[in-house]
Amino acid sequence: MEHASPSRRQFLTAVGNLASASWVALNWPSIAAAAPAEHAHAGHAMADGAAPPTSFTTLNPLEAADVDAIADLIVPGGAKPGARAAGVPYFIDNALGSFFKDQLTAFRQGLAEFQAGFARQAGVSTPFAKAAPDQQTAYLGQVEKTPFFQAVRRLTVLGLLALPKYGGNRDNIGWTLIGVEDNHYWEPPFGYYDKDYPGFQPYPGTKPYTA
Amino acid sequence: MAKTYKTSETVDFIVVGSGASGGIMARELAQAGHSVIVMEQGPRMGAHEFEHDELKYRNLSGITNNPAVSPQTFRKDPSETAKRMSGRNPLTYARVVGGSSAHFNANFWRLHEIDFIEGSKWGPIEGASLVDWPITYAELEPYYTKVEWEVGVSGLAGASPFDPWRSKPYPMPPLPVKSSGVLFERGARKLGLHPFPSPMAINSVMYRGRPPCAQCGLCGGFACEVMAKSSSVWTMIPEAEATGRCEVRSDSYVFRIGMNKAGRATGVHYFDKNKVEHFQNAKAVVVCANGSETPKLLLNSATNAQPEGLANSSGKVGRYLMFNKGGGAMARFENPLNEYKGANVTRILHDFYDSDPKRGFYGGGGFDARSGGPLTWGQSVPKGTPSWGPGFKEYLESYTYWMNCSGHGTSLAQETNRVDIDPELKDAWGVPAMRVTYKDHPDDIKHAKWQVERAVEIMDAAGAKQIVPGEVGEASGGVHLLGTCRMGNDPATSVIDKYHRTHDVKNLFLCDGSSMVTSGRGQPTLTIEALAFRAAEHISRFAKANAI
Repeated sequence: MEHASPSRRQFLTAVGNLASASWVALNWPSIAAAAPAEHAHAGHAMADGAAPPTSFTTLNPLEAADVDAIADLIVPGGAKPGARAAGVPYFIDNALGSFFKDQLTAFRQGLAEFQAGFARQAGVSTPFAKAAPDQQTAYLGQVEKTPFFQAVRRLTVLGLLALPKYGGNRDNIGWTLIGVEDNHYWEPPFGYYDKDYPGFQPYPGTKPYTA
Repeated sequence: MAKTYKTSETVDFIVVGSGASGGIMARELAQAGHSVIVMEQGPRMGAHEFEHDELKYRNLSGITNNPAVSPQTFRKDPSETAKRMSGRNPLTYARVVGGSSAHFNANFWRLHEIDFIEGSKWGPIEGASLVDWPITYAELEPYYTKVEWEVGVSGLAGASPFDPWRSKPYPMPPLPVKSSGVLFERGARKLGLHPFPSPMAINSVMYRGRPPCAQCGLCGGFACEVMAKSSSVWTMIPEAEATGRCEVRSDSYVFRIGMNKAGRATGVHYFDKNKVEHFQNAKAVVVCANGSETPKLLLNSATNAQPEGLANSSGKVGRYLMFNKGGGAMARFENPLNEYKGANVTRILHDFYDSDPKRGFYGGGGFDARSGGPLTWGQSVPKGTPSWGPGFKEYLESYTYWMNCSGHGTSLAQETNRVDIDPELKDAWGVPAMRVTYKDHPDDIKHAKWQVERAVEIMDAAGAKQIVPGEVGEASGGVHLLGTCRMGNDPATSVIDKYHRTHDVKNLFLCDGSSMVTSGRGQPTLTIEALAFRAAEHISRFAKANAI
């Protein structure tokens, strides 16, 4: 990560200097190549001087464990890493302690109701986080329409796909999952269908013209 | 070194707002020899400060009006009590030097000739106020061209059989096509339609000292970190400052226009970054604050002589609020499109631009092929797709296979749709906040649903494996903020004349989305900028003739 930030800074500093804009335009591919693609976004975190959070500072251990378990069921692990490996629970903890702190009270209350509801389930003797996977999945199915579950789901997706500096999307796990490469510069072809585009064919009666 | 003025100095013009119109107004007036101060609510940010941070810009009001400190209320009907919406404002705009031109997608469509005369052609329509503009396409055409060449627009002139006439081609060739553009074009051509390269206010080549697009894929909602997007902050503002006669005063929130007993504007009251109140003297004021902030400022500037708000003898300030209603579809294809790369839109079509009575309702629009950022896309799932668990994870993995076919269309002007002042709510500066009243006209809803059907057809013809028709709900806000201080020849039914001078205050001018008489079909910024070039020319002429 350390070598990515200067590269991005070099890129933007060069672009920011209007006198050198034409030089930048000509040299973009090589400038971009100098910034390792997988860390181009993470470089922002370095630039901001803030390391991604790696501990829980808002939620208590029981709360954090249950949130972790729920997030892991929303985007489970497996052949490809899911929400837990991406650090989504840390994102949620960070969000509720900072930019979404106005949601914390409602979130806590929702979580308490979630926990109490789970405890009332037949055959339940542990907190949600320690329950059997079948029990967890069955209970989530019951509560998936509740505002609390919707809030965790929203936060899970945000955490999975937001910049790593917020605590989730660790090592770009979220972007990798959805097929997004991290880079600040692209050139065509972008995808499968524009590879062999033959060029724009004018319509009868029209005369496209350029400067 | 940019010019700075003291508040005690009386400058020729204060321009309120540094966005699409404010930047042009400032440059034109300053280049014509006038002293100008641009007042901007938001901060001035350098290109390197704009990040690829979808959370910040889409969810945390990174550069937009923040509902926590700049709240608004909303209601559908004037009989209801307006309330704050959970976590968002109904009307959103950028609060930064460059205004919404800093974060727009940069779709730059001209209005067509029909847009200026639809009142005569289709009116009256029950429940709506569909009237002609006091100017025509022919009067605005030279200024459209001026925007395209001086601000910078890429595109292919003459490619669409439905394009209005033009005096010059675009100065830059179109941006490279994306997979969504290729598929959109393939489907539309199969249906006998005429898709063409989208005109975009984004450099496709080196132009006027700015580099071409880096194809980073993050335009809408983001400011351009390489300055390829033709935002005011990278185009007009520096040129205004280069005259040595223009100061851009950022973090300066104008909350009231000063008036004297003779009924003339004397300057503006504003808060600085530290919420300290100041008054800046000026000979004239030009408000370019957008279709929501402009009426708010006039209504909050009421005087004993103008108790219903400044320049509001018609009672029309804040009324006729319009967005651009539309409907579309999302489609999944067999192979990856990678829509997260490249400028947002590369192909559009205007076959359905004109209203057609055979459809049974008023309305017209255009379609484009576009994409959404991953974080926004992942928040919802198509009907029948699990919203959590292994099935949801599988859906997430399909992100690069999707695109949108989006319709952009008309919203009818209705007198009851408006921005006014909430009787109780105040913002973090203690300034009375906006109250928004809005309900779609039935024809707007019908047209949007009709657009959904066309979008589905286009995506089907393109060979989509899965199509998710968009849901057409009632509008509860927007980002195209139009019509709220409409121009017109009759002071009883409009707020400004055809030169953007308010009918009631001789040295007060308005120019932004609020000036528009009809909504167009989406993508209003090019028109707002053309209006600004035209208005600035006339305002400068008036000033030089001592007629302000």
